Amino acid sequence: MPDSAPSPPAVTVENLTKVFKSGLGKQAFVAVRDLSLTVEKGEVYGLIGPNGSGKSTTMKAILGLLSPTMGKTTIFGKSSTEVESRRDVGFLPENPYFYKHLSGLETLLFYGRLCSMSGRDLQDKAREMLMLTGLEDASNRRVAGFSKGMLQRLGLAQALLHEPRLIILDEPTAGVDPAGSRKIRDLIMGFKERGITVLVTSHLLEQIQEVCDRVGIMAHGRMVREGKLDDLIAVENETELILADASPDLLAEIRTLAESRGAKWIRSGHSRTTLERLFLESTEEPKS
Amino acid sequence: MNSNSFSPARIWTLATATVTQLVRMKIMAFLVVFCVIVVAAGFAFPVMNPEQQLKLLKDVSFGALQIFSVVIAIVSTALLLPRDLEDRTLYTILSKPVPRYEYLLGKLIGVLLLIGAGLFLMDIAFSAVLWLRQSLVLAQSVGALKQEGVATPEAIAQLTEFVGKQGLTWNIHLGVLAIFLKASIIAALSLMISCFASSTLFTVVISLLVTIIGHGQGLIREYFFSEGMNQIMKKLGSAVLAILTPDLGIFDVLDNVINGEIVSAISAGVMIGTAAIYVTGYVLVSHLLFVEKEL
Repeated sequence: MPDSAPSPPAVTVENLTKVFKSGLGKQAFVAVRDLSLTVEKGEVYGLIGPNGSGKSTTMKAILGLLSPTMGKTTIFGKSSTEVESRRDVGFLPENPYFYKHLSGLETLLFYGRLCSMSGRDLQDKAREMLMLTGLEDASNRRVAGFSKGMLQRLGLAQALLHEPRLIILDEPTAGVDPAGSRKIRDLIMGFKERGITVLVTSHLLEQIQEVCDRVGIMAHGRMVREGKLDDLIAVENETELILADASPDLLAEIRTLAESRGAKWIRSGHSRTTLERLFLESTEEPKS
Repeated sequence: MNSNSFSPARIWTLATATVTQLVRMKIMAFLVVFCVIVVAAGFAFPVMNPEQQLKLLKDVSFGALQIFSVVIAIVSTALLLPRDLEDRTLYTILSKPVPRYEYLLGKLIGVLLLIGAGLFLMDIAFSAVLWLRQSLVLAQSVGALKQEGVATPEAIAQLTEFVGKQGLTWNIHLGVLAIFLKASIIAALSLMISCFASSTLFTVVISLLVTIIGHGQGLIREYFFSEGMNQIMKKLGSAVLAILTPDLGIFDVLDNVINGEIVSAISAGVMIGTAAIYVTGYVLVSHLLFVEKEL
């Protein structure tokens, strides 16, 4: 008889509460209050919120770096308290640093060995990851000389090295220039296509909007909104109409028709590009 | 493969990374300073008598070895954990399937490998200089006997035996082993303190304090646990003291080595056993503290 048991979600957080004890006479700090969320396999889930809203604490609890005061977290059905649960996870912390004395390649070999990888396989995989993250030219350079964007990409490379099924990214584009940021975003899109689950936090909402399937919004340690991105951001009673090469007469006709049918005309005008797109178009070298 | 199981390969990876990290922090520059000290001590004061010359060389060299091992054991161990936490490298390491005890063992073994390698190299340099000095002293003394016309085979044999006893013997290496064992305890102690310390400075100061108290345990016992004290209280007090601070007096065999006395196999066994007990105890407590640590 085939096993019909449903496979567990990539991540579950059940009624997570985390209280940080303070010194004598000081009040304890509640970083996360009764938080629950589920990340299904293959989806890109964005956790957003202002600084101090509890996003990083939640991520650390999922990774087993912090123990919950109450509640529990799992990764692919295994409790985060089990070391084994981290076998299928790649983690990129915010502003990662690595051993400065190692080169890019040596760093990946070090992390690969920690994941029980070795020999030719590890060498090949490390070089593949350097290529994927655009660091092949820096493979023999000491990490001490890496820029912030390069460190971020090296962080992604070490997170991907052992082919995890879940990737957790804490502010992956923090301090990275728009080109580097675009590169990271493209990588996340690539993970999605390969069926890798991604849990990402960022305060750059536009980027979250571009890559995420579902979003959770945290404030003061609580989940205040959660759902599919399209459902969350759609304005129910408004409709967007984008036309190319429309003459002023045509626009006037459309407006008259709309108003005659009881619709309220809110605005019209030229579409605008984003500042990021303008930056990238202006700074990218022309392809020969 | 079950990556949750104990993995010597992962521990070795962490240990070698620790060694490389410390070596590239130029911590081994002390080796050069040591060699200069040994050579200077070996060839200074040529007017002293042969016994004094060799004793001085051993005294200065063992002193330098002790300083090297204690400083590296405390400072390098105190630096490692806070630095990994500050740089967030600890997050990327522990978010891999690495049990926390493997991380601690890797760090400790890395420090011990470095101290062991450093002591080994210094032992070679020290032994070479001592052998050279011993040969020179013997040649000079035999020459002096010949000048005085009393260079009988018996006198030369007696002189050779005397200088040999003060010169290079296996005892020298046992002295170096005692220094290494003591450093192992201090490194494990520093690791334990750094698991709950709020700063590197705190770890260094407390480790140094415990090391000093550990050296003076005999004196403390003598002073506080006086003759008139109840036997049970005396034993209890001694036990509490031994738990709180390691009895480093057990490793004080250097005076015997410097004086050319033989370190017995029993003494060596006691030193190895004591070091093993303390290191194991400190590592266990470190694990209990570190496994609960909020990162």
